[in-house]
Amino acid sequence: MECLVHHANHYYGHSHVLARYCGLDDTDPPRLHGYLQHGWNIGDGMAPDHEYVPGVPKFVWSERVRRRAWSLGRREVYVVGSPWAYLLAMEPEPADAPPRRGTLFYPFHGWEGQHIIGNHEGLIEEIRATEEGPVTVCLYWQEYRDKRVRATYERAGFRVICHGYRGGWWKDLDPGFLYRQLAEQRRHSRVASNRLCSAIMYGTLAGCEPAVYGDPMQLEREKSAFGGQARIVREWSDLHGAALDVSVARRIATAELGADRLLPPAELRRVLGWPSLRHDPDFELTGVLTR
Amino acid sequence: MTTLIGGEMLLWSDLDGSRGRGPVSGDALGFLLSQPFGRTLVAGPHAPELLEALPPAQVTVLARGAADAELLATRGLTVVCGSLEKMAAVPAYDTVIALDGLDRLHSAEAEPHSWTETLDLLLAVLKPGGRLLLGVENLFGIHRLTALPATPTDAEWTVPDDHDPQRPAGHARLLSHLARRGLHVQRDYAAYPGLSSPTVLLSREIQADAALAGALEAAVATAVQPTTDVLIDPVRLATAAVRNGLATALAPAWVVVAHRDPGTTADAALPDAVINGREFRLPAAGLPRGRTLEDHLLAAAQRRDLPTMRDLLTTWQSSPSAGVPAAQIVLGDNAELTALAPAADPLTALRAFAASAIAGGFAPLWPIRADEAELTAVLAGMTGRELEPSEVPPADKPGAHAVGDLLADRDRLTRELSEAKAKHEWYEQMLLRREAELKRVRQMNALLSATVPGKAATTLVGGLRAGKRAMRSVVRRTRGS
Repeated sequence: MECLVHHANHYYGHSHVLARYCGLDDTDPPRLHGYLQHGWNIGDGMAPDHEYVPGVPKFVWSERVRRRAWSLGRREVYVVGSPWAYLLAMEPEPADAPPRRGTLFYPFHGWEGQHIIGNHEGLIEEIRATEEGPVTVCLYWQEYRDKRVRATYERAGFRVICHGYRGGWWKDLDPGFLYRQLAEQRRHSRVASNRLCSAIMYGTLAGCEPAVYGDPMQLEREKSAFGGQARIVREWSDLHGAALDVSVARRIATAELGADRLLPPAELRRVLGWPSLRHDPDFELTGVLTR
Repeated sequence: MTTLIGGEMLLWSDLDGSRGRGPVSGDALGFLLSQPFGRTLVAGPHAPELLEALPPAQVTVLARGAADAELLATRGLTVVCGSLEKMAAVPAYDTVIALDGLDRLHSAEAEPHSWTETLDLLLAVLKPGGRLLLGVENLFGIHRLTALPATPTDAEWTVPDDHDPQRPAGHARLLSHLARRGLHVQRDYAAYPGLSSPTVLLSREIQADAALAGALEAAVATAVQPTTDVLIDPVRLATAAVRNGLATALAPAWVVVAHRDPGTTADAALPDAVINGREFRLPAAGLPRGRTLEDHLLAAAQRRDLPTMRDLLTTWQSSPSAGVPAAQIVLGDNAELTALAPAADPLTALRAFAASAIAGGFAPLWPIRADEAELTAVLAGMTGRELEPSEVPPADKPGAHAVGDLLADRDRLTRELSEAKAKHEWYEQMLLRREAELKRVRQMNALLSATVPGKAATTLVGGLRAGKRAMRSVVRRTRGS
């Protein structure tokens, strides 16, 4: 596993968003001197397969993760907040945004290394029984490419979308991922999943009413690190159910995504080891991606 | 007029400070001397300037060095020169002033006297109903706790020691000892930074007001700035002592005003505190209420509450107090900042806070080297300000080092070096991997160039380049004509 300037830092265009917030060229984010948490996490904030170089900072989203990481023996852990929270800070919802409709559902997904084992038909039934408005299902790119999975949801009358590639190893990076995700979430009044995950936190912060219900499914060879799904249900019980207290959910999402702990750009640049605006030779060319 | 009473030291001066510490001096003590004392004995080395407030006709000074006696006599004072035990034990004085303590009243000619014996000798010359102003060094004070071992001076043919059972150890024991000797303590003060020239005197009463802790911390912090190398930073220790209600227990010295007459009421004329040349009286109008800004900042750092730190830093750095060190600002209940020191360059003040944060062990809150300039730049960033470490004004050359900090620095540098080595190894591995990949890509390039489409592409690119060159030369020629 390659570390230090970890390829995971670029997942979902995370470093691109941070670069934009810092006023730097977000088409080619500078080297981020450390590891960045790339998803909502019930452990120490880092992927389980991470190897560490001593002294290299680990940037996590929330104070709770920092405390947990510290208790697990991690040091050099710093809270910077999630790229999603920065994106929302830069892209406030326009006042004249069209009214939100329906539910955006994220079926629990596998990843490149582990596929999902579960009954999509059963899940579809539960979604139908719960949701009143139109339903959009967002699949992970892997499942989206699987024609059978896609067709299963389409046959149910759901709109099926994919936010894009996650990317990896500096290849197939998708800086537009979070932007597409935000645009989709803002079209929907509800965000739901069969497992509590980053997308539910994101949607809650983006103004959707969250819900977590249905067969949570299984990953191939799923390991229950940090207490696994059982602990998630126990510890974040306020976020489980078809109808939740939105203000409680928003408070939790704000804390988990570190939206209450964002750094000013000048501080973030220093903390990430990024060039200051004055010292970036390409500053003249710096502009944000237009979409 | 000088009277030699015996035991006088002919080749000696306590006042010139060449044989040991200098005489008791300073404005702060002057505030205790500005009242009618009647016939007064000043026992021990007191700076002549300090005695100017007293009416010379009523003052007798006991000096053990002949040179000091001569100097004091020229100022119109009555001088007895010699060792205390040679004085006639006649209760002749309304007031005895011994602010230097009891350790320099006997000459080298005298047998050593215990602290209690010396006190009794002083009390023997005090009239019934008379008053004693006594300074006492705290042998468990901050100055001793932070000091490196020192070589004894000429004046220390015997040294005060807390093993001495005749000497009250600790403030409470001092007061009960005085009470047993028939003295009624009217006021007592914790004196900082030492017995010799205190700049801060804090009464028990003023310390009891918890809301004044910030102002008192700031006062004590200024007073105990080290001028020589120390074991640990006395500023941190003294401010912590104030926070923990130990300002008196750990004070370098105490000053006591006591009477022999039980009926005497408290001296209203005496202030509740003297801080840097100003006196304060309860209910302490003039002293801001609240904790210091530095205390608030470090409390937030300790909780890892960086959002609060950002707010506090921003409030501070955008206020007129931006150039005042955070340890010299009191943050009031309504978030108002009261500066207790003059303002200088805001970056210098920010750097001073960075130094406090590093010394307090808070540097690991940020992913940077524990370097004052680096941390200053991050702190500026926390207020939204763009600042490079190179723009931070250099620190004054430190007048003193704390051994504890040096050890911590050594451990930190060792760790940073091993981390740097680990990173270096990682970069090397990464470089090798990238080189291998580059080699592979180049080989593939060479192979592809050899294929028919590759050759075609090379020809096309070559053609385009030639076209570009031709265009350029045409443009040049056209411009030239």
